[in-house]
Amino acid sequence: MTIITNNNLKCTIAQAALQNVLDPEIGLNVVDLGLIYQIDFDETNLKIYVAMTLTTQFCPMGESISNAVKRALENTFTDMEVQLEITFDPPWSHERISDEGQIFLNQ
Amino acid sequence: MFDANQSNSLVKNTTHKVVLPFYFYAALSFLLATILLFFSTNAFTQHYFHPQVLAITHIMALGWGTMIILGASHQLVPVLIEGKLYSNGLAYASFVLAAVGIPLLVYGFYFFNLGWPAQWGGILINAAIISYVVNLAISMIKSKHENVHAVFVFTAALWLLLTTVIGLLLLYNFTATIFPKDSLHYLPLHAHFGIIGWLLLLVMGVGSRLIPMFLISKYSNTKLLWTIYGLINGGLILLLLLFVFSNDTAFYFIPAIAVFLAIALFGYYCYSSYGQRIRKKVDEQMKVSLLSVSMMLLPLIFLFIIIGWLMAGKSNPQLVLTYGFIVFYGWITAIIFGMTFKTLPFIVWNRAYHLKAGVGKTPNPNNLFSSRVFNAMAVAYLAGFVLFIAGVLLSSTLVLQIATLFLLMTAVLYNWNVIKLLFHKSTML
Repeated sequence: MTIITNNNLKCTIAQAALQNVLDPEIGLNVVDLGLIYQIDFDETNLKIYVAMTLTTQFCPMGESISNAVKRALENTFTDMEVQLEITFDPPWSHERISDEGQIFLNQ
Repeated sequence: MFDANQSNSLVKNTTHKVVLPFYFYAALSFLLATILLFFSTNAFTQHYFHPQVLAITHIMALGWGTMIILGASHQLVPVLIEGKLYSNGLAYASFVLAAVGIPLLVYGFYFFNLGWPAQWGGILINAAIISYVVNLAISMIKSKHENVHAVFVFTAALWLLLTTVIGLLLLYNFTATIFPKDSLHYLPLHAHFGIIGWLLLLVMGVGSRLIPMFLISKYSNTKLLWTIYGLINGGLILLLLLFVFSNDTAFYFIPAIAVFLAIALFGYYCYSSYGQRIRKKVDEQMKVSLLSVSMMLLPLIFLFIIIGWLMAGKSNPQLVLTYGFIVFYGWITAIIFGMTFKTLPFIVWNRAYHLKAGVGKTPNPNNLFSSRVFNAMAVAYLAGFVLFIAGVLLSSTLVLQIATLFLLMTAVLYNWNVIKLLFHKSTML
């Protein structure tokens, strides 16, 4: 589970905020589930670019999860606008789940 | 690095306003059917062509099974066809027409008044199914994504339409001459188009998408699903041909074997999905759903026995009654129990929390209903189910009455949890 970023410090803060965003079906947060691919910060235009995926392209909760990611980041970085992109290239795979996530799913 | 062109590929959910009335209607129908069952135990010691048995069968098949499947299907169409539902208006029309038509038809059967109430009921039900088929067809054409699951669902809808059209003609056949023989003669065809063409095919089409999705499984096997599709549809077409052109009951084993093979392969598909799941813990609702897959084989065992009796030139109404009960109160009811509490909590959660997720801690969809009530319902259901079969086979009114008490308890507990979900108010943890 590696998140590509251009700002390690802010990415750590963003990840902490996203720990509260759960996939409601699985009960695991989007970071440990490996749904977040990239978080870039544009300090000039005050924008955050997020590339994320879903466990399946046909996830009926997809809209809800992506909106929750956007809201969580906007509440943390209040002066920045979030631009979010859902991608399935590459598709999500279980290798992206963090060690903590694996322990949770194996319970 | 990432393909931004796919950013609009999120599933467009059907509004809960379209879907929830179907669930509510189905829950009430299950309760009503079980109350009628409680007061009609004597009917289950007689021939299956009995007004009360026909009334209960049609509440279970249409009010319970079909209404909840139509509701879930409107919700799942975007997931299955990878597009959006064409028209909410047609979905509402489908609900209203069926909601008015089903009680009229059931009234007609219960009091064996097969004149205008039953006939208008049948016409309205057919109009409801036409609305559904048209909505589904246009949604699929507009989505332009063809996949095996969507083909299963659309074919199932066509079998449903054929079933209800035949049903309407059989109804008119009671008061006018439509067919060369009496309506009872055509009942097996009408029943099996509905049970296998509509219910089984649809459950397999939807289940083959949802079971791996809910288990978070890596398993996928489109070729196997096409084989299952061919076996079921081939079996049904063969059944129709045999019915029209052959009098030899021995041949009926062939379509029955085709369906048996399809169910066995679907069981293998589910088992493989289960084996390759990423999440090890499987919740109670999924366990009930997976159990209902194995329960598909139970009615078939009875079907083989019934065909055997027919080949010997005998008939056994008790076996036919047990077969019907196992289909509607067994397999269909078990799968609805599992899938109701797998899909409905998500629809309600989306309605209550879609604007709140990410702001604070929200409850899990599984916390929106009582798992204790669900477990108590499952125990009461199993007891009622087993006792009822024993009661029919032994022709014992006492055993049937005890069984229906358990089933009544089941229906009350099911409705309790459904109402708890439907009237859920959002609360942040």
